[in-house]
Amino acid sequence: MKPSLQIEIAGITFKNPVMVASGTFGYGEEFESLIDLDALGGIVTKSITLKERAGHPPPRTCETAAGMLNAIGLANVGVERFIDEKLPFLRKLDTRILVNVAGSSVSEYVEVCRRLDKAGGFDLIELNISCPNVDEGGLEFGTDPAAVIGVLRAVRGVCRRPIVAKLSPNVTSIVAIARAAQEGGAAAVSLINTLVGMAIDSESWTPRLSNITGGLSGPAIKPVAVAMVYKVARAVDLPIIGIGGIATWADAVEFHLAGAIGLQVGTANFVDPDTTMSIIEGLTRYLSTRKLASLHDLIGKVRVNHGRSQ
Amino acid sequence: MKKIAPQRCRIAGNKPLDRAGRYFRLTIEGFHSPRKIDPGQFVHVKTGDGYDPYFRRAFSIAGFDASSGRMELIHKVVGRGTNLLARKAKGETLDLIGPLGNRFILPGKSVTTIIVAGGVGLPPLAFLARRLVDKGYDPEQVFFFYGSRSRDDLIDMARIRRLRVRFIPCTDDGSYGRKGFVTQAVNDHLARLDGNRLFIYGCGPEPMLAALQNLALDKRLKGELSLEAPMPCGVGVCLGCVKPSLADPGRYVRVCYDGPVFKIGEVQL
Repeated sequence: MKPSLQIEIAGITFKNPVMVASGTFGYGEEFESLIDLDALGGIVTKSITLKERAGHPPPRTCETAAGMLNAIGLANVGVERFIDEKLPFLRKLDTRILVNVAGSSVSEYVEVCRRLDKAGGFDLIELNISCPNVDEGGLEFGTDPAAVIGVLRAVRGVCRRPIVAKLSPNVTSIVAIARAAQEGGAAAVSLINTLVGMAIDSESWTPRLSNITGGLSGPAIKPVAVAMVYKVARAVDLPIIGIGGIATWADAVEFHLAGAIGLQVGTANFVDPDTTMSIIEGLTRYLSTRKLASLHDLIGKVRVNHGRSQ
Repeated sequence: MKKIAPQRCRIAGNKPLDRAGRYFRLTIEGFHSPRKIDPGQFVHVKTGDGYDPYFRRAFSIAGFDASSGRMELIHKVVGRGTNLLARKAKGETLDLIGPLGNRFILPGKSVTTIIVAGGVGLPPLAFLARRLVDKGYDPEQVFFFYGSRSRDDLIDMARIRRLRVRFIPCTDDGSYGRKGFVTQAVNDHLARLDGNRLFIYGCGPEPMLAALQNLALDKRLKGELSLEAPMPCGVGVCLGCVKPSLADPGRYVRVCYDGPVFKIGEVQL
C-alpha cells in the first residue's frame, strides 16, 4: 500500500507536507509552466503588505557558499491588487494556500489580515514577523515576545482563519518567541526565516547588496534550522513547519525527525524548480521502503541517544 | 501544456573561439524543447554538481535546430561558474532548463534592421541575424555592428559574414575594423538612413546599451535591447535581477521574466 503523506495543521488537511516558502514562488502563477501546482502540499505567497512596495534597488541578491543573501525589501503588489489580480488564480488550485502577511505596525498587519479574511479564497495566514530586510517592523515584532503576543492577538481579532507565525532565527532564544506565539494564539509556527548576513566585494570594498545586509538562505543554513526546529518541538505544543535549506527528500526526513510536521522548500526552487516534486516522490519511497504507514511514524522521532533503544 | 523541466543533454562540443581560450562555443544535442525557441530567449545552466556554486547561470541561446535538438551557447570565462563550464568536455552531460524569457519581435520585411552587439552580447544577436535571413529579410538591409575592446575580443565573425549581411566590426583600440565605440559607428551610419523604416536591436555591456538607448530615444527610433543580470531563479520569482523601469518610474522590471528583451525606453540604463 502506498504510504500516506497527508498531514493536518490547525484542523486543515494537507495532501502532503511539502509547501513552497514565501518569496521563492512569486504568486504561484509564475510556476504554472514549470510544475504541477496541484501536487504541492501548499503554496505560501510572497509577503503581502497594505500598500504596494517596489522593493530595494539592485543589487538585491548575492550568491554565497551553498546559498544566497537577499534583501528584496518586501516587493509586492499590495493587498488590494493581490486580492484582485493574484488570488483568483490561487483559489482555483487544488492545494492549500497560505498568504504571507508583513507589516510595519500592528495596525498594518491587522488591516491586511482583515481585508484578506473578508476576501477569502485561501486557507491560512502566515504572519511574517521576521523579515530582516526592512527598516521598520518585521524583525522588530519577531524578536520581542510581548510584541509577538500583541500582534497575534490583534490579528486574530479580525481574521477567522488560522495564523501561522513565521519566526526569526536572529534571536537569543527562539523557544521564548515560539512560546509567545503560542500565547498569542498562533495555530502553528514556521521556522526559520533567513539569518542576517553580509558580503563585501574585495575589489571595490563595497557591500554586495544595496541594503548592505541581507538574509542568508539555502543549504548553508540547514543545520541551524534543524536545531531550532528540534528545540522548539521539545518546548512548545504547536505544529511546526520546518524551513531552511531543504533541497532533497533526505533533508525533508531530517526536518520531520527533528519535529516538523510541515515543510517549506525555499531557495532550492530557484535551482531546480521541480525540487518539491522530487521531495514528494522521495518521501513516499522512503516511507515505503521502511514500511512506515505515515509521516507520523517519522515526525519528532529523532533518536537523541545515538540509536540505543529508549 | 508541457512543463519546462530541467533536462540533461549530451555535450557535442565545447570549443574555444579565441586564441586565449576565454570564449567557447558549447554545443549540446538532444534538447527536447517544450516550446518553440526564438532569438532572445535563454537557458539556465548548472555549471557544477553540488551546492557550490549553487545557482544556475543564464546563457542566451546562440542557435537551435528543432529537428535535431542541437543547441549552441557561447560563453566567456568570467567567474567560477563559467570556469567550470569551460572545462566541460564532449560526451559529458549538461543540466539545463529552458527556453526561458521573452523573444525579439521581428519588424516588417521592408524595415532596415540595425543590430548592435557589444562583446559577449553577440550570441542572441547572431541567432537573430540568422533568423532574419532565414525568414527572407534582405541581407542588404540588415546592418550588423559588432564592437569589442580589441581584435582578440571579436569572435565568430566568419559566421556573421556568411549571412551576407552588412557587417561592421569595430574595436575600441582600432586593432580591427573601425576604431572607436560601436555606438559611434551606429550614429555615423544612422545619418545616412531613413529613420522611419529602421528597427534597432542591441545586446552588450550596460554602458553600451545606455548609449544606444539614448541615441535611439534622441532620434525617435524603435527597437529592442536584451539585458543581462545575475539571475538566481530565472523564472520571475526571486526578484533578484531587477532593473529600474523608465516607462513606469518607481517600479522595477525583472530581467528574467519581463525580459530579457525590452523595448527601447522601457528600462532605465
